Amino acid sequence: MDDDKLISKKDVLERMGISYGQLYRWKRKGLIPELWFIRRSTFTGQETFFPEEKILERIEQIKDMKGDHPLDDLADVITQQVNAKLQVAFDRLKDLKWFDASILDACRIDRTEGGPLTIQETLCVAVLSALRRSARDEELELVRKTLRERLDPVLLDRVTEESLQLHLLRKRLSGGGISAEISLAVIGPAGIVLDPEIESVETVDLGHLLERIKLDLAKETEAEPPAAPSARNTEEER
Amino acid sequence: MSDEKRSASLSGAGHLSGGDYTRVSISGAGKVSGDLKAEALRISGAGKVEGHTEALQIAVSGSGAFAGEVVADEMRVSGAARIDGAARVKELKCSGSYRVKENIQAEYVKISGVLRVGGDVEADLFKASGGFEIEGLLSADKVEIRPGGRCFAREIGGERIDVRRGGYREKGILLDGFVRMFTGRGAAEVRADVIEGDEIHLEDTAADVVRGKRVEIGPGCRIGTVEYTERLDVHPSAEVKDQKKI
Repeated sequence: MDDDKLISKKDVLERMGISYGQLYRWKRKGLIPELWFIRRSTFTGQETFFPEEKILERIEQIKDMKGDHPLDDLADVITQQVNAKLQVAFDRLKDLKWFDASILDACRIDRTEGGPLTIQETLCVAVLSALRRSARDEELELVRKTLRERLDPVLLDRVTEESLQLHLLRKRLSGGGISAEISLAVIGPAGIVLDPEIESVETVDLGHLLERIKLDLAKETEAEPPAAPSARNTEEER
Repeated sequence: MSDEKRSASLSGAGHLSGGDYTRVSISGAGKVSGDLKAEALRISGAGKVEGHTEALQIAVSGSGAFAGEVVADEMRVSGAARIDGAARVKELKCSGSYRVKENIQAEYVKISGVLRVGGDVEADLFKASGGFEIEGLLSADKVEIRPGGRCFAREIGGERIDVRRGGYREKGILLDGFVRMFTGRGAAEVRADVIEGDEIHLEDTAADVVRGKRVEIGPGCRIGTVEYTERLDVHPSAEVKDQKKI
């Protein structure tokens, strides 16, 4: 999805001033995702490349933090930090064009103090806003629960990488004079095929929505100074 | 099933249903159905676990087959172990044969027999004096290999990589024959596509690319390209097609 520029492993080591030992160790500890290791054949033999922006930013983070945390805990800490970075100031929500204040209740978000929202909460607000006109209240609640319980960091990554969609579906069952309707919330890739008796109420493109949130927020923040960079820590590990 | 933990011992042909045990000992031909959790598992006959295995200690001196994942603090194999899932073992010592279909994640690995891995091997310290075949990446802070048979990994990476002659050559013909039985008749050498590390010392090694900070290419090496940043020494009997200081 991202049009990522690639950087070779040796350039990463040189630019960041780290060693092979560190890079392999960080990979083993789960600090650098396997997906970022892109192996290619070059004229000098097999070489490994990385998405430049992602790897440089991640190594910067690891170097900053490894003084304060044992390496084994760092993977968790970094995941949290990445999510924390995506937090959205609550007060800023109302500046967003698509934001619908009445949806906050349905999202069960109560921020009288104006604390920050996680990116999951923000995405939830956006999804429910998009569904509000066609979905019933119970269905909004179903979608909210689905997002709350299923939208972990792993799925959040996949939302962007695989352009996941959220489908709100209904199916009517009848027999013996009784009929009932069930609603389903499904998160999956585009182009799912349903049985003909299922009514698709609404499909929300989560990847698109997430991009839009980020873009809108980027626009809003342009005026503000960027987040304070933490002090670089150049001490050697071990 | 009761919550009370119990011990089980199978001798002769036996069958045990999975669950939570203190000690499990299989000395005949025993089969465990389902997932097994135990403080200690000892297999001295032919044992098979048909689910996942989780134990503090596992000792295999006969033949042990594990259909699922194996998680253990310590695993010692002097017979043969075959794992169809992944192995997460803090300390792994094998003087027999050890086969894993997926990855091995460990802190310490010591192999003096033979090792076959379908995925990657990750450890803090990896020591091998037998033979191995690793389809993926072999990565450790310190990789120490004394080839006693054919040693292959697609990629080897870490802080220090040290390959030296020795292994079974000096330990007699019997063990040597055993290792070769499993690894084939090839010479005792290391073969890899790529070797990367900060301190690299190689002997009897064939690799397409070696990249490192300080690199020593010793006797019996055939290397395609060496890329180094600080220092490179090449033994007169070694063959290095291309070398580049970066």
